[in-house]
Amino acid sequence: MEYEKCYVLEIPNERPKKKRKIDQKSSLSSWEQRKQLYSELWRRQEQRINDVLDKSNRETLDNILDFIDQTRSEGTSPTIPTGIISGGPDLSSRRRLFEQLAASIQKTKDCNAFVALSSRDALNLKGLLRTLIQRATSRSEALDDNEDEFVPHRKGPRLLNYDLRTLQEWAAEHRVAKVVVAFEDSEAFDSALLAEAIDVLSTFPVKFVLLFGVATSVEHFQDRLPRATIRKLEGRQFDAVKANDMLERVFEVTIDDPDQRLWLGPGLCRMMIDRQNDHFQSVQAFVDAVQYAYMSHFYANPLSLFLGEGPTDKTIPKDHLEGVRSLASFRKYAEDTLEEGKTDAVRSWLDSDQQLLQSIQHALQSGTDKMRGIIGALKLVRHLRAVFQQQPDITFSSLYIKATAGSLNQSPIIRELLLLVKKVASNKLPAILGYLSSANQVQIAKVADQMLKRLDELIAGNEHAAEPLRSEHDLRHETLRTTVVAQKVELSKQKSSLTKQESEYSEIVRDLHRILSEYFDAMLSDPKAVFTHEIFMYDIKSPHRDSSMPRPRLVIERALSTPHDYLNCRCCQVGRVHEDESVLMPSNPPTSILYQLYLESGSLINVSDLYSAFNAIIGKGDNGDDEKRVMVLFQRALAELKYMGFMKTSRKKMDHVTKLAWKGL
Amino acid sequence: MLPTELMQILNRDFPCRELQIRHLSALLSPTLPSPSTVVLHGLEATGKTSLIKQYLHLSKFPHAIVSSRECVTGRHLLERTLAACVASVAALPESETDASAYSRCENLSALAAQLQRLLEGHGKFFLVLDGIDRQRDAPITLFPALARFGEIISNLTTVFLVSIPSPRLLHRPGVPHIHFPAYARSQAIHILSLNPPPIFLNLNEEYTAEEHEEDRKWLWPRFLVATWDSLAKGAARDLVRFREVARMLWEEFVAPIRKGEYGTRDFSRLMVRMRGLFQKEDVLVDGIVPQEKDAQQIIKRPKKVTLDLPYFSKYILCAAYLASYNPTRQDQIFFMKSMEKKRRRRGGGGTPGRAPKNRKIPRNLLHPSAFSLDRLLAILHAVVPHAVPQHADIYTQISTLASLRLLSKAGPAGADMMDSNTKWRVGVGWDVVNSLARSIGLEMTDYLAE
Repeated sequence: MEYEKCYVLEIPNERPKKKRKIDQKSSLSSWEQRKQLYSELWRRQEQRINDVLDKSNRETLDNILDFIDQTRSEGTSPTIPTGIISGGPDLSSRRRLFEQLAASIQKTKDCNAFVALSSRDALNLKGLLRTLIQRATSRSEALDDNEDEFVPHRKGPRLLNYDLRTLQEWAAEHRVAKVVVAFEDSEAFDSALLAEAIDVLSTFPVKFVLLFGVATSVEHFQDRLPRATIRKLEGRQFDAVKANDMLERVFEVTIDDPDQRLWLGPGLCRMMIDRQNDHFQSVQAFVDAVQYAYMSHFYANPLSLFLGEGPTDKTIPKDHLEGVRSLASFRKYAEDTLEEGKTDAVRSWLDSDQQLLQSIQHALQSGTDKMRGIIGALKLVRHLRAVFQQQPDITFSSLYIKATAGSLNQSPIIRELLLLVKKVASNKLPAILGYLSSANQVQIAKVADQMLKRLDELIAGNEHAAEPLRSEHDLRHETLRTTVVAQKVELSKQKSSLTKQESEYSEIVRDLHRILSEYFDAMLSDPKAVFTHEIFMYDIKSPHRDSSMPRPRLVIERALSTPHDYLNCRCCQVGRVHEDESVLMPSNPPTSILYQLYLESGSLINVSDLYSAFNAIIGKGDNGDDEKRVMVLFQRALAELKYMGFMKTSRKKMDHVTKLAWKGL
Repeated sequence: MLPTELMQILNRDFPCRELQIRHLSALLSPTLPSPSTVVLHGLEATGKTSLIKQYLHLSKFPHAIVSSRECVTGRHLLERTLAACVASVAALPESETDASAYSRCENLSALAAQLQRLLEGHGKFFLVLDGIDRQRDAPITLFPALARFGEIISNLTTVFLVSIPSPRLLHRPGVPHIHFPAYARSQAIHILSLNPPPIFLNLNEEYTAEEHEEDRKWLWPRFLVATWDSLAKGAARDLVRFREVARMLWEEFVAPIRKGEYGTRDFSRLMVRMRGLFQKEDVLVDGIVPQEKDAQQIIKRPKKVTLDLPYFSKYILCAAYLASYNPTRQDQIFFMKSMEKKRRRRGGGGTPGRAPKNRKIPRNLLHPSAFSLDRLLAILHAVVPHAVPQHADIYTQISTLASLRLLSKAGPAGADMMDSNTKWRVGVGWDVVNSLARSIGLEMTDYLAE
């Protein structure tokens, strides 16, 4: 073996066999098409998301660019101009902001250099400066840690590669006016290091502009710097778009597009949004989750093929149609049709693929319409809430989740909204009608136009009045009347009489209320009642949970405490010997037995006691050979627990171990 | 000694420094022999650097000045020193020095050899090392070695500028020290009153520049006295800070004069009117983002400190605070469900009137104590009103908080984060945690000892 210098490893051509849960034949026949479909749809979706992200950052970016521009005119000042960009703890969105900034700085005509530093680049001052110089002068050599490397091509004494004079000379040579240094994650930098770096930068005649990305708050950031350093900095604060707002914008773009074909279901959406609020606040993580949803839908569900352009019986394999016939939504659809008495239709779906395909296309189209209708209705809800200035703010995502789960129409949100519509005053009505008449729904738009005309006439007749017109349901039209009957005071509500204009106005409002409630009833029904909802809506949570939310500790603890769950062996089956689950059996793996004993003891454990307990369970009497065997098992189990970080040797007492991990945390 | 004209110029540019200038001109004189090492010491903003620069410039000695602040490592300082000396010698009229012959300087002895070679055959040469006591990454032999350079190189005089000289700094007796004391009240006011800032930004014809000059000279020193006595005496004693504070206050102070409400000599009335300016201490607080000036609002409301964090991160931070500031042995009292009753009783108990024997510092004023990860998680489970999910997102958040330095690792730097041996500390104070806890509806005082 040793006399060969190298070996050529020939990889066999066929790929190793993987375990696939799904049936090979049916899924693979459409695999290429689905993959194509996925990549096309996701490409468009990603494009939209990126557009939104870029657009949202635009305003902040422009402010920062202005700030960088302005700093030149100030002349020589003892302080370094500094921009603090505050945003949530999401590093990925800040990094995106800085990337955009770098691109737009390079685009501008003045010569500015941009350097982004992250805390990983800078472990000490030398490294920080070296990185800074290398990135600014954009030398392509890879970073290496050789301290004594000199900068080549220079007359006279050479400079060390972390000497800022290099940068100074480079800036003079290339006529660079300003060097913008961005600290991506300022909090992660050691504060002493940051202070020293600022001190060094402030001594050089190169014009620096510093940008700090701050995840917490400006006060918190300042508290960590010494005052002498703060005195050297002066600047402005920029607020980046908050993570939650950004998330809402991105979310909207993932469900609302004229070309949308796949929607995320309510359960999955709720899980993703909750995870954002509870744990992450990272837009990138959300985008990744959406991509994962697309992938798992198109990769794992053969029926996703129907989402392609105009599925015909040539492009769709037969077994896929068979798959549709076994869908739960198809069964329900067929039963409903049967109840209507159309037995022929059901028969034809079962017999003729062509017929089935047609009805699938039809159903998909109506499903798409349904989803668009829901989103249109949600936008109306949002608009109405804005008009009535209702508190608290309900996010679009939570509205969507409720609507797609089919529970929005009965919810108090819609009920309150309709009540408010009944009471609306004439100064707010045009805003609502104007929105309705510009809506996509043709019928509603027509009616709204007519109502708007009626309203205009009414208002034109009412111009002299200071107060807007109010409908009959307005509280101001009710008076309380007190009557004394048998020494008891009775309160009764009474409508005051309406003027002619007011009753006409009430007519309009009543019409509007009727139209809106009909509209909501029609639009906000459960989309899961639609045939083929499994195809156009993806709502499976378990792949996401399995792939992105691991539970390492829980899994190890469970494996140790109930090994039967994993081993599925006969000997340890619960209920075979005892009913109780936590009973210790000698047939369990020794580590898990020891773990049980470990759980039962206090924070300091005497190893000798532990051994005798272990021996009592696993040992077979007083024979010397057996003791050896038990001892080996015990030692190994103990070592394994130690390796997994459950215990360590105690310093307080000899032959004791300290418990480090408790169960269930 | 220097010629008298030069002395006069120096005395004019650096008022209140006559003694130091005389010392300097005796020690670094063109005619008398100079000591090999001189130490100039004094606090910040006492004129050490600018005086020696001006002195060497005027006296036209060949010299090199190296500022330690610009040097990142000890090696960097040596390279800089050699480069500065070579440049200075090369600039001399009759020198034939080839700069490329002095390219590297790895350590102190190399510097000594190179300098010896460089200065051979030249006259007196002064090497000024500014702020050398703050040099980063300095080798311990740096000071004593540099102080002995004069013994090897006879025509070299090294001048150290340090803030506070320790008695054994140079390991060498008999080095002359020149002390630059901080300016006293009258001196500081005298120096700053030399160039008064303008009262009016644009002058009209009736009010000439000479009158303006006179008014400025009259008003500015009085204003300086008031500023020193009220604010600068306590918080901005050095000249630079004093000047900054005075400049910041000045604009606001003369605003009524600019509006025409007061004459330029109405100092005492103006003083009474603007007394609020000297009472609030906003100008002394440094901030990167300048505070918005609001004349009406004298008492500023403390800004609400909130952190924009995910839901569970807030709980983790609160739990970390509790873990840091509660003693471990009382955990059972505070966090066990069965101890509910005991905790209730805590509020009303205790005997009033008797002071404890030995007074203890309140725990929340002390440094946070370290805790293990499991304790944090256990407290988290006890504090959160509903079930805590057991997946890895919790750990991710802990590491995010650590990268934001809201939590800090107490153990060795390279230790594994999730290792159960690693200890943690909370990195934020009571105010932040309390407002965070409020925002999630957690009452911290229910769980906090004391």
